[in-house]
Amino acid sequence: MSSRGGKQKKGNVTSEQEEEEQPLQAVLVADSFNRRFFPISKDQPRALLPLGNVAMIDYTLEFLTSTGVQETFVFCCWMSNKIKDHLLKSKWCRPTSPNVVHIITSDLYRSLGDVLRDVDAKNLVRNDFILVYGDVVSNIDVSQALQEHRHRRKVDKNISVMTMVFKESSPGHKSRCEEDDVIVAMDSKSKRVLHYQKTQGLKKLQFPMNIFQHGSDEFEIRHDLLDCHISICSPQVAELFTDNFDYQTRNDFVRGILVNEEILGNQIHLYVTQDGYGARVSNLQMYDSVSSDMVRRWVYPLTPEANFTDQQGQGCTHSRHNVYRGAEVSLGHGSQMEENVLIGRDTSIGANCHISNSVIGNNCTIGDNVVLDRAHMWNNVHISSNVEIHQSVVCDGAVVKEAVRLNKQCYFSMLPVSQVVIGPNLSLPEGTVVSMHHPEEEEEDDDDEFLSDDQEVGHSKDKTRQKAFNPAEVGPEGKGYIWKASMNDTEDEELAQCLWGLVLNPDPESDSESEASEESQDRSRSVSPEIDDVNAFQLEVLGTLQRGLEENIVCDNLVLEINSLKYAYNITLKEVMQILTRVVLEYPFQQQGTQLTTLQYTGSLLPLLKTWSPVFKNYIKRAQDHLDCLSAVEELFLEQDTHQTAMVKVLMKMYQLEILEEEAILKWFSTGATNDKSRQLRKNQGLQKFIQWLKEAEDESSEEGE
Amino acid sequence: MPGADKETDLTERIEAFLADLKRGGSGTGPLRGSGEMARETTYLLRRITAQARWSSAGDLMEIIRNEGRRMTAAQPSETTVGNMVRRVLKIIREEYARSRGSSEETEQQESLHKLLTAGELSEETFREHFVHLKANVIEAINELLTELDGTTDNIAMQALEHIHSNEVIMTVGRSRTVEAFLKDAARKRKFHVIVAECAPFCQGHEMATGLSKVGIETTVIADAAIFAVMSRVNKVIIGTQTVLANGGLRAVNGTHSVALAARHHSTPLIICAPMFKLSPQVFTTCSLSLNDVNSCFPVLKILSKVNVHCPVFDYVPPELITLFISNIGGNAPSYIYRLMSELYHPEDHKL
Repeated sequence: MSSRGGKQKKGNVTSEQEEEEQPLQAVLVADSFNRRFFPISKDQPRALLPLGNVAMIDYTLEFLTSTGVQETFVFCCWMSNKIKDHLLKSKWCRPTSPNVVHIITSDLYRSLGDVLRDVDAKNLVRNDFILVYGDVVSNIDVSQALQEHRHRRKVDKNISVMTMVFKESSPGHKSRCEEDDVIVAMDSKSKRVLHYQKTQGLKKLQFPMNIFQHGSDEFEIRHDLLDCHISICSPQVAELFTDNFDYQTRNDFVRGILVNEEILGNQIHLYVTQDGYGARVSNLQMYDSVSSDMVRRWVYPLTPEANFTDQQGQGCTHSRHNVYRGAEVSLGHGSQMEENVLIGRDTSIGANCHISNSVIGNNCTIGDNVVLDRAHMWNNVHISSNVEIHQSVVCDGAVVKEAVRLNKQCYFSMLPVSQVVIGPNLSLPEGTVVSMHHPEEEEEDDDDEFLSDDQEVGHSKDKTRQKAFNPAEVGPEGKGYIWKASMNDTEDEELAQCLWGLVLNPDPESDSESEASEESQDRSRSVSPEIDDVNAFQLEVLGTLQRGLEENIVCDNLVLEINSLKYAYNITLKEVMQILTRVVLEYPFQQQGTQLTTLQYTGSLLPLLKTWSPVFKNYIKRAQDHLDCLSAVEELFLEQDTHQTAMVKVLMKMYQLEILEEEAILKWFSTGATNDKSRQLRKNQGLQKFIQWLKEAEDESSEEGE
Repeated sequence: MPGADKETDLTERIEAFLADLKRGGSGTGPLRGSGEMARETTYLLRRITAQARWSSAGDLMEIIRNEGRRMTAAQPSETTVGNMVRRVLKIIREEYARSRGSSEETEQQESLHKLLTAGELSEETFREHFVHLKANVIEAINELLTELDGTTDNIAMQALEHIHSNEVIMTVGRSRTVEAFLKDAARKRKFHVIVAECAPFCQGHEMATGLSKVGIETTVIADAAIFAVMSRVNKVIIGTQTVLANGGLRAVNGTHSVALAARHHSTPLIICAPMFKLSPQVFTTCSLSLNDVNSCFPVLKILSKVNVHCPVFDYVPPELITLFISNIGGNAPSYIYRLMSELYHPEDHKL
């Protein structure tokens, strides 16, 4: 620590001297480190997905350049070649560009933390820098925030390490991403962040009292903030990431800084802006809303007709009701473009079409009598006549045959070479994903997911050909595989899934059991609401157990790991046991989704209990431990009331494995009931029988003993 | 190699200028008045003339036309840029003609009779090489720059002829030219100014504070009150963003309602517009190209289910306008076409 302090001090002196001459730098992370856009992102990195016919990374670079950034480091991992090619061709790499773009690629980045550690290792930033993702669309003027940040750093001797840019917007607004909802407690005067918490999936919020006992007398607790994912960082941020190798995301970082504030003396500040637009395209829903905001000119001057990427032939004209037309667009007789429509160049549209709120890419052909509403079509899409598309994404080169109906939130993903064909005469339900990649490939390819993309794609193509397409799913002439047709109420499902700490959105991954544990751990970590230590601990335990299962780790080692986690997160023994019980019982849900039948559930749980019984035995020793464990079991089954019948089997198994003693169970049964629900639970027939049996067994054994 | 250095330096400057233009309206870029924009453009064009490689007037015109096309494409709403490009093209034509010895008079006069008889309008190729052409062109551009520097003063000087004591004058939004005009008149006369605030950007507030600082009695009204207040007004004096070829205006949103109210009450409507705002563009109803639709943030915070439009400019037809005051004097709207033909060569109307 002391050496670090010395280094910091030295760095500060030089940075103060050079502050004026130093060009403004930015770190752009052109990788999402998750797979929300899967399977689209299998063929194209997220930063290159078109938004309003322009790659998302171009918006980010334009934003950076217009705020006066002179040097940008673009970090790519997944499909870095494609990003590199794109950037080299773009105006950013022309010699006249005011913003010098350096591209840094590595296959080893797994998270934002890795990138920033690399920034530190390579010593790239010398001064305050702007940190953004490659999918941020914004026109916010951050120079004000930058000034405030610099001022604070001068006044407070570099205590402030990061200023996060937020935009005011009411909760529930469509361009607010649910998973990014935060509640922030801050000092109104200094704008210092006192408490920062993601609210997704939380019903209760807790604020530590000590944050309100600090010097200032005015506090604000705000929930009306939209996270723009733009942060102004001091060079120390990179160093702090290096020091704390467990920081993966900005969230980890912010929480880490806040927790250790008193020890390290670092602070985080907030900049709240009212005007300007800033949002990150972090999932498909955000893609839809950002795209429509862009067409509605919220992101002015980054409008479609501005052609800010300066590409030949990308220009288009803007006419009333926000209708944008590229060059050489032909429109059939009787076709209507109602409002908020963007049509790329060389696209032809047949007669009597009805198009509203849609974006259509370059070189598309659309037949007659087509209805498009909130459709996002990329380049070279062919739509035959009588097709209806609602709120869907149709990717590069897709072919939709006659009389197909795509309902809400369908999306197609396809290889650029061999395209998905849908139809004719088919109606796809909501939330369908069709791809040229077979879903099962995914499981097989999982291990080398982050390795060289070219190899993998070629490899998977071979496999694709071997498998037949299902005509019932994609139509008689169809080509492609259905990934998942989710239930009607996607919203609810999303919420449920993220409560489980899994990935949101039409992500077929949640089905597959064989995913690499490390990665799932990372992902669940980056996605899940990280509320407090207990929750983090729970995730860690889950990760440990998963890995234990996959790598056949001896239970003793698992115990060791859990013990060390216990100290790391400062968890009491009682909580450890409760969490452990909970994690184990929830494990089947975690792995196979919440829709298991009771039979499936017990089927997968009981072997697990057997495997992990030594772990339990290690923690459940005293009589009180038994009771605590039982109450944890009870609590869980009260929540999962559909699976209450499974409870008996679980208790039975635990009894057989000698995890629980009969006296404890009996005691729990007779005394534990505290409210109506738990009384109800105890009336369960199976449970009563079990207790009956236990009593008899006890009697017998006591007789024998005599 | 110094030549190459110059070249890259030049392209860098052009790129920077283009980028500035693109971000022009956003508030993130440097917001400037059109006077400054005109000057910047002319400086850049002078630099191109001085540093680019050309051997004849034709080459130079081609270079400038190309750059001009890019500049106007970068920010179509900023017509001043295109106007200055046309002015410089005209200068080159004149200087070339003078170097050749043919009088500019004959070139310029285009009577109906001449149009009928001449047949081919201009067979000029501009290929001849003249040693002093570069120096002459730069000299002429410098003259243009001095003219630009003096425009606001020239307009303000005429204020006393138009504003009399105890008059009530209405203006809308903020225009640097009008502000200078009123301030100049306030040195000698006492009058009352009513400023329409011009929501949503409310530049009118800025204007009002500026005027009240020099002791002019100023009242700010909401845009909705324009018609009600008009009956008390003696004169309406406003600025504009562009003067179109037909004598119409492309001016800040709300100007049309002011003009209609003024017509209803037969109040004279006077436009203060320097010559560089004259544009050979004409108004077409179907396109929004005249109408820069801005981001709607000042109007409403992002709302999910509401469509928000925020056009920035109004078209004001020439019938509603009484008088233009430019840096070379007062003109009726019907005379604008004539001024236009003096300023720009007809072949340059389309860049």
